[in-house]
Amino acid sequence: MRRPVMLGAYVDRCTAVHRMDARVKLVALLLASVASFASSAHAGLAMAAAGLVVALGASRTSAREVLCGLRPALVVLAFSLLANSVVIVGQPGVSLAGLVRGATAVLRIVLVVGFALVFSSTTMPPAIADALASLLSPLRRVGVPVGDLATMLSVALRFIPITMEEAERIRAAQRARGARLDEGGVLARLRGWGQVLVPLLVSLFRRADELASAMADRCYGGQQTSLSEPLTSREVAVLLACVAWAAAAVLA
Amino acid sequence: MVEVQDVSFAYAAGANALNGVSLTLRPGERVVLLGRNGSGKSTLGRLLNGGLAPSSGSVSVDGETSSRQFARLVGYVRQDPRNQIVSPLVSDEVAFGPRNLGLSREEVLERVTWALEQCGIAGLSERLTAELSGGQQQLVAMAGVLAMRPRYLVLDEVGSHLDERSRERVRAVVRSLTADGVGVAEIAHSPQDLFGADRAVVLEAGRIAWEGAPTDLFGSERVLSELGWRDDVVAGALCGAVRAGYRLGPRPDEEALSQHMPQIDEGQAGPGRGACAASSLVAADVRVEYGEVCALGDVDLAATGLTLVLGASGSGKTTLAHVLAGVLAPDAGHVGLGARPVRAGQVGLVFQRPEDQLFCDTVLDELAYGPLAAGAVARDAEDAAREAAGLLGLPGELLSRSPFELSGGQMRRAALAAVVAARPAAYVFDEPTAGLDAPSRRQLQDLVRTLVASGTPVVAITHDAQDWLADADDVFFLASGHVVAHVDARTAACAPEVFERAGLLPPLSVRLRARAEGRSRA
Repeated sequence: MRRPVMLGAYVDRCTAVHRMDARVKLVALLLASVASFASSAHAGLAMAAAGLVVALGASRTSAREVLCGLRPALVVLAFSLLANSVVIVGQPGVSLAGLVRGATAVLRIVLVVGFALVFSSTTMPPAIADALASLLSPLRRVGVPVGDLATMLSVALRFIPITMEEAERIRAAQRARGARLDEGGVLARLRGWGQVLVPLLVSLFRRADELASAMADRCYGGQQTSLSEPLTSREVAVLLACVAWAAAAVLA
Repeated sequence: MVEVQDVSFAYAAGANALNGVSLTLRPGERVVLLGRNGSGKSTLGRLLNGGLAPSSGSVSVDGETSSRQFARLVGYVRQDPRNQIVSPLVSDEVAFGPRNLGLSREEVLERVTWALEQCGIAGLSERLTAELSGGQQQLVAMAGVLAMRPRYLVLDEVGSHLDERSRERVRAVVRSLTADGVGVAEIAHSPQDLFGADRAVVLEAGRIAWEGAPTDLFGSERVLSELGWRDDVVAGALCGAVRAGYRLGPRPDEEALSQHMPQIDEGQAGPGRGACAASSLVAADVRVEYGEVCALGDVDLAATGLTLVLGASGSGKTTLAHVLAGVLAPDAGHVGLGARPVRAGQVGLVFQRPEDQLFCDTVLDELAYGPLAAGAVARDAEDAAREAAGLLGLPGELLSRSPFELSGGQMRRAALAAVVAARPAAYVFDEPTAGLDAPSRRQLQDLVRTLVASGTPVVAITHDAQDWLADADDVFFLASGHVVAHVDARTAACAPEVFERAGLLPPLSVRLRARAEGRSRA
């Protein structure tokens, strides 16, 4: 069964941002997060926001998707805006300085969500895993199993849709047996979830077991050839531009 | 050459799964391993690639005797592609093996391209694995194994989750591999898998019961009954043809085989015929959409007796199963039992692995769950549970055990009994026979026959039309969410053109039957 595209999932488009090396994008995301949170003056924040506009444009990600991404955090954001701007103690009313402070905080979060969304919707999951592995590779010297971590991440991402599909299938089977999974009080619902979770866990363990031997059959030992290409001069230029931009935003 | 000498193997604290088995597999040779579920075929396969080490005896691959080294030389492809695909992206998935071998980046990429081409799926390289159909996923899994350039290959029931067209594509890949000198050991369940094989090996309770040329297998009554192929239509035609001097070639010779098709038993009309219409399961103008994708459109279906729903993967079959069982509300149209709309819990729903829905502490609780949920008092629920256990042949002493302690076959029967115990007004079976051996398939067919005879409509959704056509009343063909044909089963059994209209490759039995009918009319 096909479901609508999940928020933040990879969107297949053909843009320069999609084609860019995942390591560059990952570093750029880190820099952008620093710029969004560490910029103090309004000019700095404006620069960071301008960066997001450029990133959205270059990756053809719509601003609407960013707003959708914020939906889960909406209550918290609204609360922080209110809490900052409404003065209760002393002379009750609305404080302009507080409103600005609240709006700044909200804007920072909007920016980070936007950057993260641009990254995740333009980068294939295995490329994210590989990029993470190559950025963490210095840790290998102190004994961190970086290759295993990257494979774990990749396998976990691969099993998300399978787990969802399996849960859906078991839910359907149990409902057909007369289980009422969405009715009754909290206790009844929890018991209902047991009817789905027990078989789901059993079946996922079976799958995991089989996957582990399938990986052993393909000689998995934790060390893999890296498939990332050396960075092109353009990518290096993008990286330097990002560093300059983040520094400017923070220092402005 | 792979040499297995006098090998025995026991899983922890169990009886021997294999007992004194010897086998050789030469380069370029294709050996088919047959036997019932649990006869030790997969265990033998795992020994060939070093996934398991023998308890006694020896295995060697091209002179190499350390089983740790076997994985490089012997590839292994499993039944369910979803359990062996590691990566979310096709090209990355195929690269997984070569990357583990420590090859250079260029060589890895070259092998990925080569392996995808070998499997005829070069166009899929940048797709997400989760989006592909089961058939495409299985070809990706094969490409992932081929990219390691194994000298031998073990195929463990690779076709059991696929439709006939995808199976044909897999067979074509295997033919080109053996032509290139790869030795293939193929674990299989169907007589059709014997075409083009060099040898057949039949396992029975962990021992080799028979070994020889595929043609000779059809001359041995004992082997045919061990495999449960006595009632199989294609096996029947092959037996007749072999007696008349036919030898199995690389592909079925349809003209020769069609002359030996067993006659349809006219007395054995579908048992559900004439069942009262009040109990029929009806879908009218059903429409289901996922976002912008139309999964089902204007589906009209009325099921009495045994109704088959056939269609390629992605045609909306599973969505239809959910809708008919009342667990998915259609966006338009309605589904009813007779005149009343259907609710979840009224229609029994059985998926491919029904044992994946067990969750209770004891088998009895599991069986009584449905009746209790429907509002029966404890005493009646227990009676219904015991009756269902009897129908499925579950011995009474198992009822107090945990369902997770049962053997695979017992678990499946317990899960089926749990559905039957609730006495639903109709049943929907979604791919119930995939991966089952012939005797288990027949057990399931017997159950369905019993249910239909009691006046309960049954809808079976399946890739294996061949197994069900003889018992069915009606056949609906589904293609991209629409019913493209609706014929009675007798017509479907000799009308390959209807299958083709739905984008399906007609089963061999249908092709043979059509030829035989055509000749008798001429």
